[in-house]
Amino acid sequence: MTRDQHQRVIWTIGGGKGGSGKSFITTNIGICLSKLGSRVILIDADLGGANLHTFLGLLPPVTSLSDFIKKRVPHLKDALIHTGVPNLQLLTGAQDLLNAADAKSALKRKLLRSIKSLESDYILVDLGGGNALSVLDFFLMSDGGILVVTPEPTSIENTYRFLKSAFYRRLRQAVSSYSAKSLIDEAMDQKNEAGIRSPYELLREVRRINEEDALKIVEEAATFHPNLILNQVRSKKDIEIGFSIRSACQKYFGIQLHYLGYIVYDQDVGNSIRKRRPLVLENYRSKAAQCVTEIASRLANSHRMNPGI
Amino acid sequence: MKRMEEQTYYEILEVSPDAGLKEIQRAYDHARETFHADSLAIYSLFSEEEMRKIQAAIEEAYRVLMDEALRRSYDQSHSHLIERSSREKQVEKPVKSSEIRSDLSFTDLSLETGEITYRGRSLKQLREKLGIDLKAVSAETKINMKTLELIEEEDLDHLPAMVYLKGFLKAYARALNLDPQKLIEGYFQLFQEKGKK
Ligand SMILES: Nc1ncnc2c1ncn2[C@@H]1O[C@H](COP(=O)(O)OP(=O)(O)OP(=O)(O)O)[C@@H](O)[C@H]1O
Ligand SMILES: [Mg+2]
Repeated sequence: MTRDQHQRVIWTIGGGKGGSGKSFITTNIGICLSKLGSRVILIDADLGGANLHTFLGLLPPVTSLSDFIKKRVPHLKDALIHTGVPNLQLLTGAQDLLNAADAKSALKRKLLRSIKSLESDYILVDLGGGNALSVLDFFLMSDGGILVVTPEPTSIENTYRFLKSAFYRRLRQAVSSYSAKSLIDEAMDQKNEAGIRSPYELLREVRRINEEDALKIVEEAATFHPNLILNQVRSKKDIEIGFSIRSACQKYFGIQLHYLGYIVYDQDVGNSIRKRRPLVLENYRSKAAQCVTEIASRLANSHRMNPGI
Repeated sequence: MKRMEEQTYYEILEVSPDAGLKEIQRAYDHARETFHADSLAIYSLFSEEEMRKIQAAIEEAYRVLMDEALRRSYDQSHSHLIERSSREKQVEKPVKSSEIRSDLSFTDLSLETGEITYRGRSLKQLREKLGIDLKAVSAETKINMKTLELIEEEDLDHLPAMVYLKGFLKAYARALNLDPQKLIEGYFQLFQEKGKK
């Protein structure tokens, strides 16, 4: 990469369950990074309930991605909204992009290219809670995918389901033979006829039919490093669940998950949302704000130490 | 991406091949809490049979790695695998116990009981396994030998009441690099069982 070529890092925030805190975290991490002096763009791509503007205390935006899609504005950057926070801009309406039903894949690719060329240091994308194929694709194509989990069985179950879908989709894109692809499709169904219940069993079956594709799977597993934030932590024992999830992923998927950090359950979060003032601005001394700040600085450092991830 | 059967004992416990005993103990405690039937972190992932396999592998890895002679012969017979895994690990960034410690140092949170607790006797066993002399613990913690012995013997009749004992237990646990809360909890149960103080 040359010097003047711009190095922007795209983080996607998704997985987990509705209400796990993805939008709260996206907004507040974005603000922290902008306070550290970086240019940041938040992209709201939640299919169901785009609401990042509310977290920022803004009215529903009048310009959005569809203005660019419908060619009402010439450049994607013209669809960005100033948030009132220095260095921080917002792009809404990205759900149109993910909505597989009406976005053709050629258009989607073009949009992704436009997003990648936006002038910024960080782009944070709130993917919302679903695991539609285009959501998975976005998660996989970003520099880093972040899962937000709360220490509850429902949230953990959904997270593993999301992770499995994303992982298998990644494997599917990597293998070349049709037979391996269709085995992976079959493995997505938990009650499949081939009896594949885990990634290891999938690998075993693929190895039987195509050694080259089996090697690709091993390679993909070794380079897939999703990130985890544990939110709404209420005890020290809860914090350790993050490390346990990392170990469980290693044993089940054979992948190395990064535990980025945890955020404590804090009444101040709800209070700040009701006031429509971002927590790290409204009450930066609160415990949850301190946790968010720590994670943001970790993200900034991980990128500095390992540009392009 | 290696199946359980293909992983070395070091990979099973997620420690580096040159891990010391304290580190292995911590990793083992962590693995036991993680791969436990009631553990939240594995919810919906493994079948009962897979869990039994994982648990058995963890116990076996711990048994061998904590025993000097067994570990040496294991290292010899698996040298080719262990070397390779250590090189892989360098790239993949292994789980470091120091990383766990620093991340867990959020002190303002209320504490809950972990699955595993320590008491005097298990503490003594562990200390001996780690090859740490009680005198060294006494020197580090500034607790006199007699009190340390009473703690290890679980001699509740001669030990001070829990309120005073807590500080000693904390210091002792720290000297062995253990979570102090787990020792305090274990001792608390001990007092309750004996219906004392
Ligand atoms: N650390 C926290 N402490 C206390 N409350 C929290 C915390 N994080 C999130 N919440 C609460 O959870 C609610 C949901 O958060 P948020 O809207 O960010 O979730 P989400 O994952 O974006 O949900 P959805 O999938 O529906 O978009 C918030 O209204 C907030 O009150
Ligand atoms: Mg949301």
